[in-house]
Amino acid sequence: MKILSISTATSNLSVALTEDQTTLFSAEETDRRNHSEHLDPLIDKLLHQAGWQLTDINRFAVALGPGSYTGLRIGVTTVKMFASILHKDLVGLSTLEILADNFAQSDALIVSALDARNDNFFAGAYIMKNGQPVNVMADGHYHLDKLLAGIEKAAAEQGKTKVILAGTGLIERAEAIKTALPALELTFAEGDDNQVHASHLGKLALSAQTIDPDQALPRYLRRTQAEMDWHRKTGKPFGQDSDYVEEV
Amino acid sequence: MSAKKDVRILAYESSCDETSTAVIKNGREIESLVVATQIKSHQRFGGVVPEVASRHHIEVITQITKEALAEAETDWKDLDAIAVTYGPGLVGALLIGVSAAKAASMATGLPLIGVDHIMGHIMAAQLTDEITYPALALQVSGGHTELVLMHDPLNFEIIGDTRDDAAGEAYDKIGRVLGVNYPAGKTIDAWAQEGQDTFHFPRAMLQEDNYDFSFSGLKSAFINTAHHADQIHEKLNKKDLAASFQAAVIDVLAEKTVHALQQYQPKTFILGGGVAANLGLRTRLNAEIKQLKQQPKVILPPLKLCGDNAAMIGAAAYNLFEAGKFADLTLNADPSLELPYAEHMLN
Ligand SMILES: [Zn+2]
Repeated sequence: MKILSISTATSNLSVALTEDQTTLFSAEETDRRNHSEHLDPLIDKLLHQAGWQLTDINRFAVALGPGSYTGLRIGVTTVKMFASILHKDLVGLSTLEILADNFAQSDALIVSALDARNDNFFAGAYIMKNGQPVNVMADGHYHLDKLLAGIEKAAAEQGKTKVILAGTGLIERAEAIKTALPALELTFAEGDDNQVHASHLGKLALSAQTIDPDQALPRYLRRTQAEMDWHRKTGKPFGQDSDYVEEV
Repeated sequence: MSAKKDVRILAYESSCDETSTAVIKNGREIESLVVATQIKSHQRFGGVVPEVASRHHIEVITQITKEALAEAETDWKDLDAIAVTYGPGLVGALLIGVSAAKAASMATGLPLIGVDHIMGHIMAAQLTDEITYPALALQVSGGHTELVLMHDPLNFEIIGDTRDDAAGEAYDKIGRVLGVNYPAGKTIDAWAQEGQDTFHFPRAMLQEDNYDFSFSGLKSAFINTAHHADQIHEKLNKKDLAASFQAAVIDVLAEKTVHALQQYQPKTFILGGGVAANLGLRTRLNAEIKQLKQQPKVILPPLKLCGDNAAMIGAAAYNLFEAGKFADLTLNADPSLELPYAEHMLN
């Protein structure tokens, strides 16, 4: 099975071509702000290297979220269109699960986190079973205090003392984290291990459940501020997204 | 004799709070037009919230692509190009259309065309009637108030622009004071038909020798009048307020337009943009132009084509297609894209 995987969830733009379990070609552009400009040309370049056409791809895979809202939408829109037009499989995975897979060989508790400003994080915790990440603390939007409590609880439940922390924003708070979790043996991931890699997505995508391209949406893990304010003010339920868009 | 081959373009528009697709034949015929509006969502907040708008766009993008093709009874292989609005507008919103159109272009091998949203609004006229050049357009919407001189289907220049608020923006702001739900234009237009201009609000920049507009003074005068009445517990007639506001807006728009028509003597006059749906404005411009010695052909697009829609983008894209002006896969959203300004506007 030929898989095209992309992650536009973070400032690291990552694209990979995988066949079965093997990454054939992959490319990354770090610290990019403009994924819109670079994504399609990068896909084009990799396809060219592989001598494949887009129509040869059997399955499109994308990091659904969490991550930069705008970045997620660029990636998800692109694969939705590919899969819908070419009638191919679409799979979407948690950005945090893909990040955790950087440590597929580890027996530690893996904490994946993306800085969401003001001491907040999009984060989740994973352990590895047969080389595949299994979620043990749900992906969510956590304040640092809640996140640390969650890590402590997950570590206790899973019987882990070794904890690897990967992603963005955690190393900057290393002292506070070490102080709060004295009983755990903490390792902060370094360099490339803090990045979301499409090659890992490609590996996980092989066995992931397919989704309907029309239903595929980014997993923001957070309502917009406007919606939260409106909800607090009116007490009205958020409702379904489809309640608010109508064809005229 | 071989007839020229038909050109079919699938167009996308997602610059604000409408997600739209259309199939346009030869830049003139609407084979399909699908518009998914988010108005109900943004009414919760009293105006368009960009992040919410972007989230809604991605929800419908693949479905409305299929619907546009089905409604036109066409398939990807019958198309000649894919077009998309790439600016101006809300960057996150624009990016859904741009990403979708680029992906569609990659998946099908069809060429890609990037369209300026304002050029699109003006080209709604091309779906209504034949435009003969040079033409002059008054483009009025929530984000823009511009007089545009069109030398041919591709070369446009702005000869007059708003110095502050766009006309549509002023409608929404005074709508809030009157307690009218966003978007306010339609209700205020309806009230204005029933009220009288009793407040005589200022007409900004009418005396000045240029084609620029300003609506912030009018907006302030309106708000001050309403607040003052509030303070002394006086109830003002909302319909007269609406009529007075609208009369001031239309006076300025109409007079500047008439002057420009007299100076440039275009063969066609086009009214474009969301505010082009305003009945008061349409009636007044028609009447003014009937008085002119040199009368241009007047194109007032039907109401359905005044708001944001992909049909107008497909119309403009056809002209770019014919001129061989294509985009490549690096096409990006440009939220502050602008038509070129005429020389006299640049100093
Ligand atoms: Zn518009």
